[in-house]
Amino acid sequence: MQVPHIVRIGALVIATTAFYGYVGQMVPQKEVQPPQETAMGGDLTPAAMAKIGRQIMETKGFCLTCHTIGKTGALRFPDLANVDVRAKTRVPGLSDIEYFAQSLYEPTAYIVEGFPPAMPPINKPPIGLTDNEILSVIAYLQTLGGTPTVTLQTKHHYNSGAAAPAPAAGPAPGAAAAPPKGAPQ
Amino acid sequence: MNRRLLVLLGPVAALVIVAGTASAASQPPAAEPAQAPSAAASQPPPAAAAAADAAAKAKQDQDKPYVEAQYRQFPVIGSRVAIWMVAQLHLLFAAFVLAVPIFAFIVEAIGYKTGDLRYDRLAHEFTKLLSVSFSLTATFGAALTFMLIILYPKFTNYLMSVFSPTFLPYVLLFFFEAFFLYTYYYGWGKFHPLVHLGLGLGLNIVGTGIMLIANAWLTFMMSPRGVSSTGAVLSVKDAIYNYTWMPINVHRIIANVAFGGSIAAAYAAFKFLNATSDEERAHYDWMGYIGNFVAISAFLPLPFAGYWLAKEIYAYSQTLGLTMMGGAFSWLFIIQAVLIGNLFLAANYYLWLGMGRVEGRQPLQRFIKYLLIGITLCFMVWATPRSIIATVSELRAMGGSSHPVLGYLGVMSAKNTAVNILILTTFMSFLLYRRTGKIAAVAWAKKGHAAQLTIFAAVAIFVVFLGVYGYFVEATVRIKLSVPQVLSVLFAMVSITVIDLFLFRGATKTGEVRWGKIPPISQYVLIFIAVTFTWLMGLMGYVRSGLRQHWHVYGVIRDQSVDAFTPTLGFATKVVSVTVLLFFALIGVVFWIASLHDRPDFERGARFRPDPEKGPPNFAPAAPQPQVD
Repeated sequence: MQVPHIVRIGALVIATTAFYGYVGQMVPQKEVQPPQETAMGGDLTPAAMAKIGRQIMETKGFCLTCHTIGKTGALRFPDLANVDVRAKTRVPGLSDIEYFAQSLYEPTAYIVEGFPPAMPPINKPPIGLTDNEILSVIAYLQTLGGTPTVTLQTKHHYNSGAAAPAPAAGPAPGAAAAPPKGAPQ
Repeated sequence: MNRRLLVLLGPVAALVIVAGTASAASQPPAAEPAQAPSAAASQPPPAAAAAADAAAKAKQDQDKPYVEAQYRQFPVIGSRVAIWMVAQLHLLFAAFVLAVPIFAFIVEAIGYKTGDLRYDRLAHEFTKLLSVSFSLTATFGAALTFMLIILYPKFTNYLMSVFSPTFLPYVLLFFFEAFFLYTYYYGWGKFHPLVHLGLGLGLNIVGTGIMLIANAWLTFMMSPRGVSSTGAVLSVKDAIYNYTWMPINVHRIIANVAFGGSIAAAYAAFKFLNATSDEERAHYDWMGYIGNFVAISAFLPLPFAGYWLAKEIYAYSQTLGLTMMGGAFSWLFIIQAVLIGNLFLAANYYLWLGMGRVEGRQPLQRFIKYLLIGITLCFMVWATPRSIIATVSELRAMGGSSHPVLGYLGVMSAKNTAVNILILTTFMSFLLYRRTGKIAAVAWAKKGHAAQLTIFAAVAIFVVFLGVYGYFVEATVRIKLSVPQVLSVLFAMVSITVIDLFLFRGATKTGEVRWGKIPPISQYVLIFIAVTFTWLMGLMGYVRSGLRQHWHVYGVIRDQSVDAFTPTLGFATKVVSVTVLLFFALIGVVFWIASLHDRPDFERGARFRPDPEKGPPNFAPAAPQPQVD
């Protein structure tokens, strides 16, 4: 029996559509929920802050979409392995905490040589981390080559408006100074 | 019940159901429970108390503040999926309605210039599909507008306030489009050809204007400009001329032409398969060929427009760009690779089948197997993912989520190279088809062929070299390598075509093209291409819109609805599939309505059957009777 062309055409349309729908089921399935503000109590230890910071970097912060940790070769954005070691001396007069804060709130103030000035301010939309979330990210960054010292009470140039950091911010020679604007890029 | 009556009542019943559902959707989600009238009737209060209650209620109603709803829910499928499907259907029909006049105008102009009436007939045939599609575009556009107002009232209000100066021009252009479209279609053969071409040109200009305005709205949502961080309007001009507006305009015009060509080719295939005479088959084979030619010609430069769009997305926001290519949507591009690979394979297969139309032996056909190998290899490279889905033990064995060897093919250097070679190979297929049944007769033929081959080989080597070089340089350098790759391929396509045009002037024919003499499977290939194009449009529409994730306007107006999450790719592809099926069901209706034009009139065909004794009925007007005073 000859199958009418119209039936064949219909079958072809359905089969083709079904095939592409099937391909869509074969790739990894991940539902991305809108980010929620991370609830943080006032008595978190630096280690606990660092743990939360790592989670934020993987999710709401989108940090690890661009940055790598422990990867070498041709990279698109700076690798973060041992970043705390570099952060302590990268900009004269800035402690690691102040340098990290500057990189997150005002990322174009200092651009690592060989990389594009492409990082958005993390405290503003679309990422829009809160001050406390940024502190926890800094705590995690400190673990990469150093020891976390940040707590929720830590003050830096961007979360207090004042120049002097709190003692809990750890060793920060010269951290009282405002971060340089228009730093070398 | 009579079957015909059922068929007629079916759509009416469907409309009633849709209207009922839409009406239910328009109800506020959390309406206060109304008092049951029966309860009030069972215990009638004293007249005074009742009057006091009524007065209190009236006062309460009067004091009730107006609260603007932020969102409303669409039943069963939810607001986002409802908007998604209606918007996609609107865009698919709009793409078709904008694209067909572009090539109908060009085909008509060719017919006018050459005096070949076949082109005029072809352009008219393309235009026949327009009027019904235009109505469906407008219907879905209206449905989309109303649904946005009902389901996303606050956001729609915001968008309308930002773009308020654009709405009246939009409506005016829409009015002009209707004027040009209907005069262009119904005025076929009724005006001087140049006047008619002028109508076609007007239709194209107005249609493009409409698209530019609508693109401003949607690109603003993705890459907003001209507003403060809280959304206050600073400059409407900047809001329109945002980062992605122009790249989307260019990308959409090209994609619309590719899509419109494929749908017109599918129509021709449908008519070819149902043709009852060789003449009909020849006409629709030719129409399918032209439609496919338009589709693939537009498709070849499309990836370059895509590069530009992606570049602008990165320029606007690295986060947005990386979400697209390296984040939640990165696997979507593997699905896209499967679709585009299929398109290239199918388009080439159709061309190779088409070589059989030409009389005599075709020596160029022996090259096809090499082209097929090249296309398949490029397809495989393009569809190779960087990270492979594997079990824990497999991941351990690989030493990571990337395969130790294939992982190198999953990066942009390899993929850019593959897609550029894929484009070059398909272009070569076109050239082989073009010269089937012809031999160049110019004195410099040998040198011309050598020059073409040299350009092709040089560009292919250059593209591969840049691809390999990309592995050894920094990312910032590597990204920029795609520009010379693209430019060199464009150079090859343009220069080889120019040489070809002169090379085959006055060529010796070795065989005639026998239109209609092509295996029926070729027509199914055309339909497959149309479905694949449509599905691709749906998928890329999803990524463009879904990229904003939990933002209505990226970084400015946040999506606070229950649908603010980004669904899985599996879910997205299901929605795309259902929408594509709906589109083809509707386009089937368009084809059917368009084909009614060719049917014999009911009166002539059925009601007045010719009497075998008296012969056919005479419909000529009665001869005037001489008046007798």
